[in-house]
Amino acid sequence: MKTYMDKVHTWGRIWIIAALIFFLCIPVAICLHFNVTPRMDVVGKGLASIAFFFATGIIEVIAYSPMLGAAGTYLSFVTGNIMNLKMPCALNALENAKVKANTEEGEVITTIAICSSIIVTTIVIAIFVVIFAFNPKFSETMASPAFAPAFQQVTYTIFGSLAATYFVKHWKISIFPIAAITLLLLFVDPGIGVLIPVGVVLSMLGAHIMFKMKKV
Amino acid sequence: MFDKLFSDFKSDGFMYLIILAVIIFVCAQAAFFLRKAWTRGKELGIGTDKLKNAVTSSAMFSFAPAIGIAVTVISLSVALGYVLPWIRLTVIGAIQYETTAAIAALEAAGLTGGISSPVTDPQIFAEISIVMTIGSCLPLILIPIVLKKIQKGVSDVASKNSAWMDVMTAAAFIGLIAAFIGRGLAGTGSKDAGIIGDGAGVLSITALVASIGFMMMFTLINKKLKKNWIDALAMPLSMVLAMVVVVLLNQFAPELAAIEWRY
Repeated sequence: MKTYMDKVHTWGRIWIIAALIFFLCIPVAICLHFNVTPRMDVVGKGLASIAFFFATGIIEVIAYSPMLGAAGTYLSFVTGNIMNLKMPCALNALENAKVKANTEEGEVITTIAICSSIIVTTIVIAIFVVIFAFNPKFSETMASPAFAPAFQQVTYTIFGSLAATYFVKHWKISIFPIAAITLLLLFVDPGIGVLIPVGVVLSMLGAHIMFKMKKV
Repeated sequence: MFDKLFSDFKSDGFMYLIILAVIIFVCAQAAFFLRKAWTRGKELGIGTDKLKNAVTSSAMFSFAPAIGIAVTVISLSVALGYVLPWIRLTVIGAIQYETTAAIAALEAAGLTGGISSPVTDPQIFAEISIVMTIGSCLPLILIPIVLKKIQKGVSDVASKNSAWMDVMTAAAFIGLIAAFIGRGLAGTGSKDAGIIGDGAGVLSITALVASIGFMMMFTLINKKLKKNWIDALAMPLSMVLAMVVVVLLNQFAPELAAIEWRY
């Protein structure tokens, strides 16, 4: 008999393959609608400029899926905005529900959190885009020097709030990754796409050594 | 009144039909998994309060970042209209990728004005849509192939040594958080002197310190009052209050707010 997790993988695969086909059809539909033939050299040149997306895509799947859970991974990669929205949302829900990731309870809670986030985000974006489109003055205000810097800091407010929970609880294994990442950034800033897997690997390495030394 | 929405070929009725279909697809998928997870949660004996808390907290939490995403749609709308950036940021996309992909595609098409010049040629618009879509599709191909194996590996390790796995899971989360905390402390911005707040500086530290402070305050309050709703709202409220602090600092002490040590 199929377990819940087996079923999640079956449903997830069906939805993600449907999503892939659907999303690839969008540019095809745009070409047909405007009756234009894309120039392959232009498309090739554009894709070559963002070839690093493919590398980060592979890293993201390996690095994020154990934290997001099975359904959370299928859902998050279809809807995007993983680092700045889905992942912290899942972590917050796990913490509030006091359940562990990588258990079936954790799987259920992260799924519910990510689904709720997707629905709310989709509605909020739709409402605000329509408001912005109807009211250019409002969009100018949001993009003005008075408000724009605040939106640049949204990510820091998300991870600051999460840090308050996680670092207090696991302060022993938190010091090394923060110090190592900050030190690294003083010499080179590889961008957040590279910094996250580096942070995860360094943190796990430090924690593994401390675990073997029986310090945690 | 609808003139502004259907302003040009990039935002015509057909494009709105596409975004409508995308919204229906995304919400249907989320509703499907939400229902399945809710039913399974009840079977596992998870209380309705806990399940409801997960919904409320996540919904509240998503509000501020969603507005941030909508602002990105606006920043891309000058070049690409409202609908294509809206589609891209509703599926697969992420704020930091979509802007880069759009600029790369515009440059490949020979347009040097970046995202501040409107695209007027439907052929170029179609090419940009292809580049932005294909550039982010690889995970959707990989996940059906590798995810079950990754999850099985994680679950096998967890069953063999649960104490070690607990530490490693916490460490993975901390590594993720540390990457963003590190960027707030020492990350570089886009060298463009006109952008305030994209590099580590007074604003990023204020956002970090304020959100940590508010979160700790709510945790302490909840230790005394022991109310579930405080747990659920602590993080979204901490985020919003920290953003208010950032806006106020930027309004009343703009010179201090503009200080960045890594730009």
